[in-house]
Amino acid sequence: MYFLNPSSGVPLYVQLQQQLQQRILAGQFNHGDQLPSVRDFSAELGINPLTIAKVYQILEREGFVETRRGLGTYVSHQSPALKIEARRRQIGPALDQLVAEAMHLGLGEKEIQALLSDKFRQFKPKTVKPNPHE
Amino acid sequence: MNDAPIIVQNVTRSFEGPPVVKDLSFAVKPGSIYGFLGRNGSGKTTTLRMLAGLIKPHAGEVRIMGNDPFTIGANERQWLGYMSEKAVIPAYIKVGSVLKLGRDLYQTWDSALAEAMLAKYDLSPRKRFMALSQGNQRLLGFIMAIAPRPKVLLLDEPAANLDVVARREILDDILELIRDCGCTVLLSTHILSDVERVADEIGILAKGNLRVSEPLDSLKDSIRQVRFFGFKNGAPNGDIPESFRTVRGKDELTLTLRTSSLTTPETLAQRWSCQQETRALSLEDIFVELSRS
Repeated sequence: MYFLNPSSGVPLYVQLQQQLQQRILAGQFNHGDQLPSVRDFSAELGINPLTIAKVYQILEREGFVETRRGLGTYVSHQSPALKIEARRRQIGPALDQLVAEAMHLGLGEKEIQALLSDKFRQFKPKTVKPNPHE
Repeated sequence: MNDAPIIVQNVTRSFEGPPVVKDLSFAVKPGSIYGFLGRNGSGKTTTLRMLAGLIKPHAGEVRIMGNDPFTIGANERQWLGYMSEKAVIPAYIKVGSVLKLGRDLYQTWDSALAEAMLAKYDLSPRKRFMALSQGNQRLLGFIMAIAPRPKVLLLDEPAANLDVVARREILDDILELIRDCGCTVLLSTHILSDVERVADEIGILAKGNLRVSEPLDSLKDSIRQVRFFGFKNGAPNGDIPESFRTVRGKDELTLTLRTSSLTTPETLAQRWSCQQETRALSLEDIFVELSRS
């Protein structure tokens, strides 16, 4: 399921590109998986086929997918280094916003780092990983 | 742009008074959907009627698939689907007879498509036109426009009086037509959410001329509202980049501007020794900002 909001200030192609990228980086798609055809995807999402084609072009340029002529679009192999780089880029806008907000409120780098560490502790799962042998 | 299926070039048209459309130019690329936006009375319907060959421009020219829509014969008319703003179907005629008329007039008429759409929209062929709800009258007009599988489709407010579900369905129908036969669509509307879902390019018409005509993505990517605040040396007076709207407040300045690689919110904030907060605008915000200014 893709969450697209046509009325957002973020263009549709960016929304779809980010969501596909996220799924690829999170391992929801594997190397070699085929993505829906432009035609099918356009019908499924109710958006312009050119928008889908544009997203596939961008993903191909960034190395996430590859187009096999006459066959379709497939998820390409991601080297671990590339994956880390892509993940960092993905989180960039959220970091930008955090820093801008912090400066706006007059909070310094140290304070934000401390707050971030707190948050990480909060989010870390409290329970120990279930033992597979149990 | 010469291969563009829809071309409007330096067109002016008036009706007993100042021009409704003034020196208007734009073109629609093959296989794309052009969202033609504007407030009531901005000249949208006049432009579509000229493209459909119903009224002549007073100056300039319009072209459909390279031809003047005013002089083309029955053969070239087959390519052109047009849904007018108001129904021009006689009140007593039955839905089935309207479709038969279409079938007789168009060699390319797709009966299966027309039947399927009647069923989908639950329109009875035995009902008289006047007995249909306003929304269903619009839907019949839409079926008449797309059943010939036109190469160029002119839609004037197709979604007026339709409920949300029917609106979404006709958008899907338009997309399907594009996927199937590479049809080129000029979609006039003031329901912005519809356009945002399907349009490639957007034209915003105000007072008979276009304020913008460009891909929707680039419009959303480039137009930003930026609030500058916390000026170390006071807010700037001159040296402000061109802005669609400028609002000054106490120790702050808000600009609605087109950003580029040279003009970014960051470079401006640096130049004015201040901080900035940037927000992307929805099409509705952009439309209001551009139509007002």
